Amino acid sequence: MLILSRKLNESIVIDGRIIVKVVRVDGEVVKLGIQAPMEVTVHRQEVYEEIQKNNKEALTRGRPSLPKLPRQLPTNKS
Amino acid sequence: MKVADDIKAKLVSVKTENIIRMPLGLLGFESIKQYVMLSNPEEHPFLWLQVLEDPNLAFLVISPFEIVPDYRPDIPNEDVEFLGLKEPSDALIYNIVTLKGPGLATVNLKGPIVLNRNTLIGKQVVIANAADYALQHSLPTCK
Repeated sequence: MLILSRKLNESIVIDGRIIVKVVRVDGEVVKLGIQAPMEVTVHRQEVYEEIQKNNKEALTRGRPSLPKLPRQLPTNKS
Repeated sequence: MKVADDIKAKLVSVKTENIIRMPLGLLGFESIKQYVMLSNPEEHPFLWLQVLEDPNLAFLVISPFEIVPDYRPDIPNEDVEFLGLKEPSDALIYNIVTLKGPGLATVNLKGPIVLNRNTLIGKQVVIANAADYALQHSLPTCK
């Protein structure tokens, strides 16, 4: 892992096209601003990892039998 | 296996305009970019987000609003722009279901799949209000 120190309002550039800037420092919380092309996804790491893990668990091979959901009451169409 | 043959038959005959394109794939499955939504009336309200190129792989999905009537996913502006959504009604929302065991299933409310209903371009979005919802929300199944 590359470790760099930045002060408030300083930035780093990744791959010449992704900019990460320190926009606010509030005690232990650092607010980062990220500028990246549309095809680059940016997520908080822990959220990315838990969704990735959930997706992997959810991937289905073949067609298992599905649980039955209780029949819904008809909704009021107003 | 008859089930696999049925799926293959559906995939072979799928029309280009019904292919769901996910340019960024799903989280952890970024290289899979083409899907088709398959449904079986007996399995309502579940749908299969079927991998176009592999008849054996699919994700079980559900439209969340019947199950969680007050689900209000807040789609970040970058994702609205990415998907070309001009108004809320342009968006189709599906959430991935995990089968945990007989009669046990959960649905991911933090990271729905959002589709532009006109272009069928989709993305798995981490909603801005993800903290308000569960990654594994229990589905009310009949025991």
